Amino acid sequence: MASHTSKAFLNLGRIHVSGLAFQKSVSRATYTTGVSVNPSNVNKGALYRGDHGSSLRKPKRDPGQPRTAKMPVDQDWTAVYPAAASFKWSSVPLPVRMGYPVKGGVPPEKKGNLELIKIPNFLHLTPTAIKKHCEALKPFCTEWPSALDTDAKCDEHFPIKVKSTDYVAAGPSLRNPSARIVHLSVKLSSLNLDDHAHKKMRKLVGERYCKKTDTLTIKTDSCPLRQQNKDYAMYLLTVLYHESWKTEDWEAEKTVADMEEYSWEDSPSQRNILDMLAHMKVAGEGEGEEVREQLLGRKEVQEYKDCVTRLKNEGESESVILQYKEAVKKVLNL
Amino acid sequence: MAAPMALRRELCSLARIFSGISHLGPRALGACADQRKCNIIRSHLPLTSSTSFHTATVLSSVPSSITVTDEPDALFQKVSLLVKGHDKAVLDSYETFATMAAKELGITISRVDEPLKDIERLTVLKSVHIFKKHRVQYEMRTHYRCIELSHITGCTAQVYLEYIQRNLPEGVAMEVTKTAMEKVPEHIHEPMWKDHPVDDTPNK
Repeated sequence: MASHTSKAFLNLGRIHVSGLAFQKSVSRATYTTGVSVNPSNVNKGALYRGDHGSSLRKPKRDPGQPRTAKMPVDQDWTAVYPAAASFKWSSVPLPVRMGYPVKGGVPPEKKGNLELIKIPNFLHLTPTAIKKHCEALKPFCTEWPSALDTDAKCDEHFPIKVKSTDYVAAGPSLRNPSARIVHLSVKLSSLNLDDHAHKKMRKLVGERYCKKTDTLTIKTDSCPLRQQNKDYAMYLLTVLYHESWKTEDWEAEKTVADMEEYSWEDSPSQRNILDMLAHMKVAGEGEGEEVREQLLGRKEVQEYKDCVTRLKNEGESESVILQYKEAVKKVLNL
Repeated sequence: MAAPMALRRELCSLARIFSGISHLGPRALGACADQRKCNIIRSHLPLTSSTSFHTATVLSSVPSSITVTDEPDALFQKVSLLVKGHDKAVLDSYETFATMAAKELGITISRVDEPLKDIERLTVLKSVHIFKKHRVQYEMRTHYRCIELSHITGCTAQVYLEYIQRNLPEGVAMEVTKTAMEKVPEHIHEPMWKDHPVDDTPNK
């Protein structure tokens, strides 16, 4: 005889049916729900919803015991929730409550609870399920080569890095136009460039080069597909490389203002210091070039040269300024 | 070296387990030990015969055969997953799932981060007509979770990402940023002007 909760129906009376076999066998432990089960028998004939539908309507079956009452403790949960599904209160043997509590009460129970159905649940992804899935996926994976265990080794053998982004979101369209953007970065020290080529490359790329990390980054987004953008970036790199090795005729007109780094030879600083020392007659009597040569060869002048170069190239800082001070004092014998 | 040997062993064991794999001889491995000769592993479902198109495919008990190709595998130095959602609890659960899956598949997780949430606020008039002083404010909170994987091959990345993305919950978005490593291509090793000296260029 079936027994079921009967809160919705207008009871004629609660008939306690004897001999109810609840199938609660002694050897197996089952889950008990917090819901009270009223054994009652609804007379299917006399429905108070309107007699006109009573003969036409199919007799309503009673739902029976919830599945949780028949679940053993050591069951295979992956069979209950094999894939993502909404929360079914009668299949989840947990006393979950969710929602805003009644005044002086507790949050509502799980039976007919919309809040529990609304939120995404991870009941299909228990640790056992994840292990099972990964066991099945393992044959499709490959190992990382053990020789490339540090980032330094990776950079040494594979200097070019290509970065791209994929987007996954629910919406009217699967596609995201930002997915076509490709960033290609490479360290210039890993390319075969001589001094002139290095300087020309830096001038050609302009802001795309970062001096601190010695990295050239090319960002391409002009083509509609990612593969096209990647090919274009490689093409740009090739062109830059080959062009920087070329020496054009007009490059001979490079002025001091175009130079990337400060060089002390033939600079106003050199002229000034030599003139000053010649006036002070440090090297003794003598005029012309040989005095200058002699002065240049002196240790203090060399030190002064290093300090000035460092100051101009690296910018001002405590140690640099102190070093400059010491060098000036030595050169001028203060 | 260790890497090519391990792969060969893996390939041999695969050959023993699965049938139908062709061209699995000793591979000509490069002299340099660091050269990656990982092969892409592709799988295909058991082909149905033409007569059974209209019937349901019976899944055989033998697992689908895996083919190994000679195409060199991609190498990703870093794969960064950024997951965005409106509910922090959902992102917490998803993070546990993703990290557990990565551990099971043997993927190194370098960092799991939680960037600060973004709140987008909107202020509108409460009433349809007049009552400018009374407004209603709405806000949309976006929570983030960042998982960084390092040193992962193309095959493994494809498998892992497909698994993760198929189990992405409703209302959660993901951005995957992959940094692939490549060698310097052949045509950039030497400048071409060595063999073909530059003549009068029109750039003058």
